[in-house]
Amino acid sequence: MRKTIAIATLLVAAGCSGTSSSGSAASSALTVFAASSLTAAFERIGSDFAAANPGITVTFNFGSSTDLASQIQSEGTADVFASASGTAMDAVASDPGVADRTDFATNRLVIVTPPDDPAGISSIADLAKPGVQLVLAAKGVPVGDYARQALTSAGLLSAAMQNVVSNEDDDASVVAKITSGEADAGIVYASDVATAGNTVRSVTIPTAVNVVASYPIAVVAGSPQTEAAMSFLNEVIGVTGQATLKDSGFGPAA
Amino acid sequence: MRARLPLVIVALASLGATFVLLPVVALFVRAPWNRLAGALSGVGASTALRLSIEVSLAATAISVAVGVPLAWVLARGEFPGRSLLRAAVVLPIVLPPVVGGVGLLVALGRSGVVGRWLHDALGIQLTFTTAGAVVATTFVSMPLVVLATEAGLRGLDLRYERAAAAMGGSAWYVFRRVTLPMVAPQLAAGAVLTWARALGEFGATITFAGNLAGRTQTMPLAVFEARQIDPGGAIVLSLILVVVSVSVLVALGGRLTGLR
Repeated sequence: MRKTIAIATLLVAAGCSGTSSSGSAASSALTVFAASSLTAAFERIGSDFAAANPGITVTFNFGSSTDLASQIQSEGTADVFASASGTAMDAVASDPGVADRTDFATNRLVIVTPPDDPAGISSIADLAKPGVQLVLAAKGVPVGDYARQALTSAGLLSAAMQNVVSNEDDDASVVAKITSGEADAGIVYASDVATAGNTVRSVTIPTAVNVVASYPIAVVAGSPQTEAAMSFLNEVIGVTGQATLKDSGFGPAA
Repeated sequence: MRARLPLVIVALASLGATFVLLPVVALFVRAPWNRLAGALSGVGASTALRLSIEVSLAATAISVAVGVPLAWVLARGEFPGRSLLRAAVVLPIVLPPVVGGVGLLVALGRSGVVGRWLHDALGIQLTFTTAGAVVATTFVSMPLVVLATEAGLRGLDLRYERAAAAMGGSAWYVFRRVTLPMVAPQLAAGAVLTWARALGEFGATITFAGNLAGRTQTMPLAVFEARQIDPGGAIVLSLILVVVSVSVLVALGGRLTGLR
């Protein structure tokens, strides 16, 4: 009996010490939660930052901004949050709170098609042609909401929704459905096209109906290393960070 | 006289049981009970549940129809490369389902190796269709019925089949009237496991067939999408899946899982 309790205590103790030691080891490592559309740009910014700040290692967690916001709320493990939408940042700002929030980039929507353009898409209106297989990000995912907003502004929403064959989890999944040639068209960010290169063909969406997404970045409240978090944030809004973002298809903050 | 179980084993077993049960209990604790009806209609639960049941049953039927003959070939066939074939058949159990989905995409997608031909010559497109969801689900779940049936076939006493054959039964007759009834328990257990795996399939389906309500959005995909808009709705959908799965597994009990 006594032996059993001893073993159980050992197991529990092992579990606890494991968590706490990894928690204290994180003091020299910065965790940045960033929208998946930022993956290419932030990985470059991250290596520039690491080169300039040898004491700090940066770990990224890329994902849908909405998912990241709820992870931060339940786990609170992020030092910096860079979101593809104000809404997701608002959620984090109300719980657990943020500091030094600033918009650092903008992203426009574009239409992507396979390089051989099987459905003959040359404008946003073509997305409503009968039989076009259209892929969007799901509702609730920023790029999915923006795409529906643009289609609404163009007066095409109900016709285009008839053509939707799949609601994907993020922009990268939309691009994947296009590069594999399975769908005829999708709506993603301009930054996705910069990443995908010539595996997709892009069609611009007129400014009048386009949605310009503003990307906010902030230090998450409760971060044990505010200073390092601030210097990463400064790297992003600084000259080199902004140049990298421009290369990756982003526009300057509005 | 019942032997008393050693306490160490009981303690570790409790730890294991708690670990498995905790997430399910947490789902019940966090479910938005006060707005259950609203959450249910908001996330299209009935559409997704109906599609899930249809897709999982179709996948199970196909798996049994081709998986049982495959098990027979693996158990009784004498040919070079048999162990290689068995490894290939089991592969979907080991592979991440998303890898299966990518494989299906390059094989059967609209511009895939075989799919290109299906699309251009016959006008058949599997991606973004319910049929595509069935294909993806079958790919992932079929190995379970193959393995269970093969194990059953290997455990059979061959004298029954030999006797039936000696009395003039054709090979097909012996398979149908002697072999099949004798492996029925293992086959049924395998079919239940296949169905259970099919009901939970996510990765291959979303990768190959996409995610559209009423067409390819099964329960797991609906849970995945609901997280974005309505986390409470995602919990409600998860609970439905838990309740349906547990009900079926308990109803079938030891009878079909081979553990009496």
